[in-house]
Amino acid sequence: MTRTPLPRTPNRLDAIEGSRDLDEQMLGMIVSLASEVTVLRARLDACERLLVSTGALEKGAIDAFEPDAEGQAEREAQRQQSMQKIFRPLREAALKDLEATEGATQ
Amino acid sequence: MSSLPDITEGRAKMDHPLIAVPTHDEMIEQLFVRDLKVYVMGQLEPVQAKIASAEEKTIDGNADNSRVARLREKMSEHESFRTWLAMKRESQRQLWSTIGDSVERQAADLEALADIPEPKGSVRTNPDFVAPDYILSGDIHLMPGGNAHDDNSLMQGAVMDRGGAVYMLGRNGGMLNDLRGQTAIAHALTRFPDFKPEKILDLGCGIGTSTVPAAMAFPEAEVHGVDVGASMLRYAHARAEHLGAAVHFSQQSAEKTDFPDASFDLVYSCALFHETSQAAVMNILAESKRLLRPGGLAVHLEVPLLHDNTDAWVELSGELEAQYNNEPNWRGALTADYAALYEAAGFSDVEIGYQPTSQDARQGPYRFGPESEGVFRSWFVASGIAR
Repeated sequence: MTRTPLPRTPNRLDAIEGSRDLDEQMLGMIVSLASEVTVLRARLDACERLLVSTGALEKGAIDAFEPDAEGQAEREAQRQQSMQKIFRPLREAALKDLEATEGATQ
Repeated sequence: MSSLPDITEGRAKMDHPLIAVPTHDEMIEQLFVRDLKVYVMGQLEPVQAKIASAEEKTIDGNADNSRVARLREKMSEHESFRTWLAMKRESQRQLWSTIGDSVERQAADLEALADIPEPKGSVRTNPDFVAPDYILSGDIHLMPGGNAHDDNSLMQGAVMDRGGAVYMLGRNGGMLNDLRGQTAIAHALTRFPDFKPEKILDLGCGIGTSTVPAAMAFPEAEVHGVDVGASMLRYAHARAEHLGAAVHFSQQSAEKTDFPDASFDLVYSCALFHETSQAAVMNILAESKRLLRPGGLAVHLEVPLLHDNTDAWVELSGELEAQYNNEPNWRGALTADYAALYEAAGFSDVEIGYQPTSQDARQGPYRFGPESEGVFRSWFVASGIAR
């Protein structure tokens, strides 16, 4: 049987006086991300607890974990990649600003 | 944080088998929504109340409408006020979003569970039914599609059931969400301890959370529930059957039903009035009177009234709740003169006041007084006897 998807946007969402739509859109995205992070953390916690309960992982093993040299290098690269990805807009804006400033002062 | 409302993570501990059961991740999403709501209410809102209190000192005049309007202007200048409003609304949007995903995922299972071979009750939908304007002009509680949404399934009912339980933060009887119904029936038993109604009607019954308690408290009675949403009523029917309650649901407006005159002994509603209109409240009282046999009892339960008109912030909070959470008759229902409305509709022995929240109508508490015992600890009730 073909099912009609449930509607997802409520009818009548009054504007909040003095606020830009973008403000609420940004807030909505941040709340959704916070929800995702909370779910991820709970899922990771569930994994840890299940592994401990089956004996595959010792309690406290993750907190005591120290990666070897290769592991450290890979994790360093992962962090740098995240940094570049997340803060790309700020760097882009600063570079654009620099270009305009240098152009005006030449 | 032991004061957190009681929604446990134990997915197996469901109060009835039809309710949409979340996966691990969905459960965490739902708990996140609950925690977000508690945070907005407990950490952000009190600060706004203090800002309002400071702003109020700069406003002249009494707590009339213009004073509330002036306070609103002043508050709107504060960025944190606008953020608080946006967060409140977003928490509500998140609620329906996560519940919608969860219900769609298990729609087939829910439909199979709702296939009851030998039902004790019934459901009657009407494809030609047109819901009242106050239902169609804005989706109540921001539930996408609204109370009257119908896609020939029972999914909207499943959304309302699970969503309602999370929305009430477990303060209305956990996953059964039935304390208002228990309280309305406890009120009838407070007035008439030996009350034995033969026919009972719950107006604006939704998914029957408040209807089932009547069937449980009066197992000999014929119990009916009416509402505007076909999807909700299909779900209500299956839910009642799973709970072992015989209820007859039909798709009708509480303002005008097709039941004969003087055919009920008890007509009641739970938190219906503030979702309608001022004209509808009068029509619902008139319809209650028409449906009751002489001597029959009408009981209408509501959230606490706005008694304290000296506090402009309380007034403003209600106004904002009504506007941004789509509660079409919040102000009308919470400021009405129910004694006068009941008298005008043809009721006598009208009682107006607060009934303490009952966990089980057959266990009390059987007391009724003029003072509210606090939000969720007691409910406003107006009742009267049909002349």
